[in-house]
Amino acid sequence: MYILLAVFFLVVGGIEATLIRIQLATPNNTFLSPQLFNQLFTMHGTTMVFLVGMPIFTGFSNYLVPLMIGAKDVAFPRLNAMSFWMLPFGAFLLYFSFFTGSAPNAGWFSYVPLSTKPYSLGPGIDYWLLGLIVMGIGSIAGAINIIATVLCLRAPGMSLQRVPLFVWIMLMQAMLIVITIPPLNSALALLCIDRWLEAAFFEPVRGGSALLWQHFFWVFGHPEVYVFALPAFAMISEVIPVFSRKPIYGYAFVAGSSTVILLLSYGVWAHHMFAVGLGVGANIFFAGMTMLIALPTGVKIFNWTATMWGGTLQFTTAMLFAIAFLIQFVIGGLTGVMFAAVPIDWQVTDTYFVVAHFHYVLIGGVIFAVFAATYYWFPKITGRMLDERLGKWQFWLWVVGFNGTFMVQHFLGVMGMPRRVYTYADNPGWALLNGISSVSVIFMVVGTLVLVWNIVASLLHGQIAGKNPWGAFTLEWSTESPPPEYNFESLPEIKSRRPVWDAEHPELADWTSSKTPKDRGWRPDRAKVCAWAFVISEAVFFMLLLVTYVVFNTRQAADGPSSATALNVPRTGVFTLFLLSSSFTFWLSERNLRAGKHTVFLQWLGVTILLGIIFLCGQAWEYAGLLTSDIDIHRNLFASTFFTVTGFHGLHVTGGLIALAIMYALGRKNSLDTSHAKPYGAIGVYWHFVDVVWIFVFAIIYLRFYQL
Amino acid sequence: MISADLWNWTSPVWLVVAMLAIGYLGVARGLSRGQFAMFLFGMLLLATAFVSPVGVLSDGYLFSAHMVQHLILLLAVPACVLLALPKERAAEWFCRPRLDRIGRWLAIPSVGWILGVGAMWFWHVPVLCSTATEQPALGIVRDASLVFSGLAFWWPIYAPVDRYRLHPLSGIAYLFSACLGCTLLGIYITFAPVSVCPVFANPVDRIGILTSLYDAGFTPGVDQHLGGLMMWVPPCVLYVAAIIGLLRRWYSTTDEPSHHLFPMPH
Repeated sequence: MYILLAVFFLVVGGIEATLIRIQLATPNNTFLSPQLFNQLFTMHGTTMVFLVGMPIFTGFSNYLVPLMIGAKDVAFPRLNAMSFWMLPFGAFLLYFSFFTGSAPNAGWFSYVPLSTKPYSLGPGIDYWLLGLIVMGIGSIAGAINIIATVLCLRAPGMSLQRVPLFVWIMLMQAMLIVITIPPLNSALALLCIDRWLEAAFFEPVRGGSALLWQHFFWVFGHPEVYVFALPAFAMISEVIPVFSRKPIYGYAFVAGSSTVILLLSYGVWAHHMFAVGLGVGANIFFAGMTMLIALPTGVKIFNWTATMWGGTLQFTTAMLFAIAFLIQFVIGGLTGVMFAAVPIDWQVTDTYFVVAHFHYVLIGGVIFAVFAATYYWFPKITGRMLDERLGKWQFWLWVVGFNGTFMVQHFLGVMGMPRRVYTYADNPGWALLNGISSVSVIFMVVGTLVLVWNIVASLLHGQIAGKNPWGAFTLEWSTESPPPEYNFESLPEIKSRRPVWDAEHPELADWTSSKTPKDRGWRPDRAKVCAWAFVISEAVFFMLLLVTYVVFNTRQAADGPSSATALNVPRTGVFTLFLLSSSFTFWLSERNLRAGKHTVFLQWLGVTILLGIIFLCGQAWEYAGLLTSDIDIHRNLFASTFFTVTGFHGLHVTGGLIALAIMYALGRKNSLDTSHAKPYGAIGVYWHFVDVVWIFVFAIIYLRFYQL
Repeated sequence: MISADLWNWTSPVWLVVAMLAIGYLGVARGLSRGQFAMFLFGMLLLATAFVSPVGVLSDGYLFSAHMVQHLILLLAVPACVLLALPKERAAEWFCRPRLDRIGRWLAIPSVGWILGVGAMWFWHVPVLCSTATEQPALGIVRDASLVFSGLAFWWPIYAPVDRYRLHPLSGIAYLFSACLGCTLLGIYITFAPVSVCPVFANPVDRIGILTSLYDAGFTPGVDQHLGGLMMWVPPCVLYVAAIIGLLRRWYSTTDEPSHHLFPMPH
């Protein structure tokens, strides 16, 4: 489902790109109006990032991760359904904007103040915001599911050091999603409040900060690049060893460097902002960090090359795509390192050099990896082989088309052609290069048609695949193609990283030559994992809201109320005590549930709910007081940040209360027993988390700990 | 710029270094060359933090120099000391029940985390930061507390006895969250419009170098900017380096050690 949706939007985004290139084929072209051109590149970017990149990988990992670790299904099938249906819903919101006559047109990163109300009156940006929030929530849910699946459902014998690289890297990617989407969500929430409730977070005229949007967006945006790149690495790490007939060279390096990428990617966002004027110091530090992150990626390139070295290479279509990936990704990576040097960045940022750079990473790297994966796993998914001859046609069409389109854009960028212009003057050389670029698109379009034809033809009468057509190594190849509903009849014994290889070649089995740690058999509880992952993601969200608060309130507001003048600290302190004691009563109720004392459990749960309600009433009282003294959300930045932070916290308390109330109702019907202690504990994790957040909110907003 | 005034050759830190060195050579036998080098490196860093321009400038001139000193004391020196301890001897010491209890207590990850990250935050509360720079006595308390919190912080990662160490995966979470802690502080200091440590905003020009400092571009604004970035980036790079070490440890074990104080996280 995910993959089908992604393919559909790949076509949509591709059509948008084709239109863009037609417009740019000749100088002073008038094929598209400037407005439509803006809308098209915005939608092209947004579609490709959120509706192709994210779902296609979620799709592959949803399908393959359970198969590779020998599980029957993902940890939470229903959550999975929800996170999937969020996507078409978000996509619908996004594309509906075309019918309103004003699709979003502020670029895929919607820089403020262009995207604020005074500069974008139409509803386009609003649809963009809503669509992205919906899809963001969906992808967090999907990522939590993958984390829980990998951690909790591995087959006996599969220790974390033995999982296929695909699984390990997808686990890293899921963790990255969990911490990287919340900054986007908080930025989107703030912009919504700006646009709908007339706050001024991003309006410099009223004291806001346009830079804040850039910071938040790129705290999300840069790790997002790795959200795409990591799965591509994951796929390549499976394809290359199989068609080199060797185990991967340096498993630990590939796995470890993925972890390092996860950690480093969070600290390099400001390299998107070198031209902003952060100061020389900041630029130097971020340039250094950015060059550092090239290292783990470089390590991987060597691993893949070394895997092929001395192997018996089989040039199947999948392998060809993987090799092209290696070469093109290196080109994209090298231009990336060039950007890390601040002066070069200043010179070519926002030119076609950037466009060429990230298309080399995203198409030459990521999309080629997806094609490799398609040819590799299609037999497993459908039971039939894709036609190799057509596959090679597609491969060469794409290689020519892709390099023809984007290689020349490097030169255009250096010549100074800015990105996002709807047309250009007839400067020397520009017409020729743009012409080459646009003509080459035809090759990619034809290549895609070949792929579609190949898929249809192969589905109808492709060669029957059998269990393991490639002689591959990992568990998904030990079951039927396509796998039955329950995935496996029986599993081979897992004693190494390549269980299927071991089973088929017992005399050369991996576990005889290279030892891996034995599986201790311990698996965490999946409800707990889910709750913790969710809490971490929420914590990042609140952290950014609090950062916003601190940014705008380091000085006493001069233009109206501030926390010192408007808030009644002792009164809220009392209500804080109510909330905190509810954590304690919850703990009591949980203990009693585990001990099987049903009535006592219900009593304490009731008390917890009551305390939560009292806290909310206190908050309502406070809001009422503020509103009657004419302090509302658009009064000044203190009021905006105050209402945003406490409001979101209040919403979370309400959500927690609803969950508790459901538990109470279930308890009254006597359908809870000690076996429900674990999910109940998971709700507890959430409830305690909400209280901890409040401690921070109280310390920062009411006690003003930061205003020292 | 590099004048003799910028070096403080008579710093009392030599006494500390000498005492530590004597103590170390006294108790530690059967050292590997690497451990000895690690110890020397730690002592060199400790001396540098006070003797070199870093120490002199951090004494009321430059916030960024103060931050370098802060990081050396909190992160670099303790890690070196822990890594320099001989394992067999340490195993003997920690067999004693009392020491064992301390070792176990320090091995609770939240203790080390709170002490380590807390020390960073605590000593950058503006009042404390200024007073500790102006009052030598409080300054010594601060420096000592930094080293001790640093020891506590690194204990779950680099304790000389394996049973006090965290499982590598938990260790990664521990270090990553610590990185987040110092990142937040770094961001705050970098972008704060007010002076985080007011004493550096109007330095007392003891040795007459203030003009040349300002001429070289180290005005208070730039200085705090740099200080914030020091807090933000180098610790994280250090933590990531430690994480790489942990990953290496995790993948190179072929069989899990059977006794762990704590189960895996998640």
